[in-house]
Amino acid sequence: MKSLHPLTWWIWSLLVICAVISANSSWLAGISIAGAAILVWRFAADAPWAHSFWFSLKLGAFILIIRTLVGILIGVPIPGTKLFELSILPLPSWLAGIRIGGVVTQERLLSSIHEGLIIVAVISLFGAAVSLTSPHKLLRVTPIVIYEFGVATVIATSALPNLVQSISRIRRARLLRGDEKPSWRSIALPLLEDSLSRSLELAAAMDSRGYGISSKRSRYRPIPWRRPDSAIVLAATLFFAITWTVMK
Amino acid sequence: MDGDEMINFSRVSLLYPTSTKTILEDLSFEIAEGEMVLVIGSTGTGKSSLLRLINGLVPHHTGGILAGDITVDGISTQLVRPGELAHLVGIVGQNPSQGFVTDIVEEELAFGMEALNIAPEVMRKRVEEILDLLALSHLRNRAISTLSGGEQQRVAIGSALVMNPKVLVLDEPTSALDPIAAEEVLSILHRLVHDLSLTIVIAEHRLERVIGFADRIIHIAGDGSAEINLPEEILKRSEIAPPIVHLARALGLSDVGLSVRDVRRMTEDIRNSGRDIEIEKIKPGAITVNAQSLSLSYAGKKALNGVTTQIYSGEIVALMGRNGAGKSSLLTTLVGVNKLSTGTSEICGVKSEDLKGKIRREAVGFIPQEPSDLLYGQSVQGECQQADKDSQSSSGSTFALLQRIVPSINPQTHPRDLSEGQRLALALAIVLSAQPKVLILDEPTRGLDYQSKALLVGLLKNFAKELNRSVLIATHDVELVAELCDRVIFLAEGEIVADGPTLEILLSSPAFAPQVAKVMAPRKWLTVSDVLRAVAE
Repeated sequence: MKSLHPLTWWIWSLLVICAVISANSSWLAGISIAGAAILVWRFAADAPWAHSFWFSLKLGAFILIIRTLVGILIGVPIPGTKLFELSILPLPSWLAGIRIGGVVTQERLLSSIHEGLIIVAVISLFGAAVSLTSPHKLLRVTPIVIYEFGVATVIATSALPNLVQSISRIRRARLLRGDEKPSWRSIALPLLEDSLSRSLELAAAMDSRGYGISSKRSRYRPIPWRRPDSAIVLAATLFFAITWTVMK
Repeated sequence: MDGDEMINFSRVSLLYPTSTKTILEDLSFEIAEGEMVLVIGSTGTGKSSLLRLINGLVPHHTGGILAGDITVDGISTQLVRPGELAHLVGIVGQNPSQGFVTDIVEEELAFGMEALNIAPEVMRKRVEEILDLLALSHLRNRAISTLSGGEQQRVAIGSALVMNPKVLVLDEPTSALDPIAAEEVLSILHRLVHDLSLTIVIAEHRLERVIGFADRIIHIAGDGSAEINLPEEILKRSEIAPPIVHLARALGLSDVGLSVRDVRRMTEDIRNSGRDIEIEKIKPGAITVNAQSLSLSYAGKKALNGVTTQIYSGEIVALMGRNGAGKSSLLTTLVGVNKLSTGTSEICGVKSEDLKGKIRREAVGFIPQEPSDLLYGQSVQGECQQADKDSQSSSGSTFALLQRIVPSINPQTHPRDLSEGQRLALALAIVLSAQPKVLILDEPTRGLDYQSKALLVGLLKNFAKELNRSVLIATHDVELVAELCDRVIFLAEGEIVADGPTLEILLSSPAFAPQVAKVMAPRKWLTVSDVLRAVAE
């Protein structure tokens, strides 16, 4: 496959995210996640940033669990089929209206999962766009006028893949210190340090090579917008349009 | 201004606000066009800061207070942003892979020109020229991440040169490279100075690699002062000196020679009169590391192919080979973090995969390429206490060990603020606190100055010989191997191609021969102390 325009997958993911949010359906969210997974599995290049999607899925699953737990424990009771009951935590009177614990109904559980799934879909679609696009290529089409934005984009988009790389390196080092279950803190600190210094290094390199000096940039090789690009964007637009009209 | 003056520092002082130490104080010098200037100094003395002053990254990018004036080709770096000097100064960092902005070689070369809005036709022509000049043509469409270290370094140099700069600044360009790749990069630089009259400022710890190319040396003392002079003058007195200078000093030669040829001429009688020295035979102890036909592949590519070897206690073994020969893969396999396709690896009778927790710590200590990966505490003291707890040794013993290695270390310092050498020492102290039977180090001397290196040599020798433990060390540093190791295993394409006593292996290939051995060939003396022994006996 010829390489696509760097913006294609980003536009695609934005449109699908809009569709998922506007449809507000967990089915559609699930289908989008599955679709994104297939696309990443099929099309992502063998590059460090390609792992970002699977990382975003894990992150999404974590958020889903937390969201569901919080949804069950705290909130307004929704009447319906009773699943089980938690004892209600007594709260001071000035916290009227908030309840912790109580009857957990099927409806309440489902609505929590539903909202969680939508969040997961948004995160994983973002992850898919990162996975499918080379951050370096993306930089080349970012208009120079937004210099700070350009630097930030490159650093942000290369930070996630670098993060994934650094995690495995640091994990391995912890393992070698005989620490099989390293604490979250012991990974996070060197990780943060590592990504920060990498990002600074990259920014310095861009700076010293004249990035952002001229308000216009020339192109060594034009980055063409081809038919497959249009097809992908068109498909996503249709998807969005259909969900929009159906949901209305 | 003088006609061919390129870089001018006039009364420059540099101070970082968070530090009480002045990095540079009242420094003045001029560098002429077409000069190759070498910057030397211990780690943490401000070599990188000096280099980054030239294109204004310091202080524009890093902060810091700068007094005095720096001009490059008549432009004051205080008044313009680093990017505005991009056409004038090319800068290549220590770790090229962290500075790449694109994925493909050709695009990387074009990036800077694109940013300066240079016409596509001009760009194409210049990219072609650079591809030819640096022998990169066959790699033009390759993804940068798939290139070897030497190739990446050449791409980094190319992407700086493509802007037609008048000054090229390089920060330890060969620290990650094997001797052959380093030679390649340095000879290209040498040619650029002579053919294009490019001005080059280069920082390097391994003087033996670059000294022959330098016209002048800037020696940063570490107390803010610096001296700029001819290499002969500086090296007469400097503590930081390549092995041949130490040789000349030790033999009491009247002059310090900078090239192997010079010193060879001066030492003919020594080669003739010196006696053969006995090499201490180490009697093999128990087998500590046992690798049987290890094979390993990554993504279809064979990293290791049927590696079989044993390491005995009391032995210091070097693992050498070109970039990408499989050294790191072998080390990580031996310590049990890689999934093997075939073969078994055992350390002290325990399968590498089964090493866990305390048993692992007591069997094998591993220092990765980035020692800071091992560190996560908030202070040196915190790290040491954690290590004491892990190894169940008495409180304070790790710190006592650390103080034996680097006496001046402050226990409250954050590990991140330590110098390269101090950080390695801390990682070593932590790993050694568990008293492992085997110590494995991956490229420990990268970025270390001679002083820290000597310290490391002493420590490892003591550990292996006094305590009868094994040390396995992957390195490109032939001088370190000559000083330290008993045996060398040479890897190529994942296979062991040579395995034998250091003397034999190092002398069999000119690229891997240490400087003293080149001077003393055909006599088989590897180090200054070998020569002294030969003369004294």
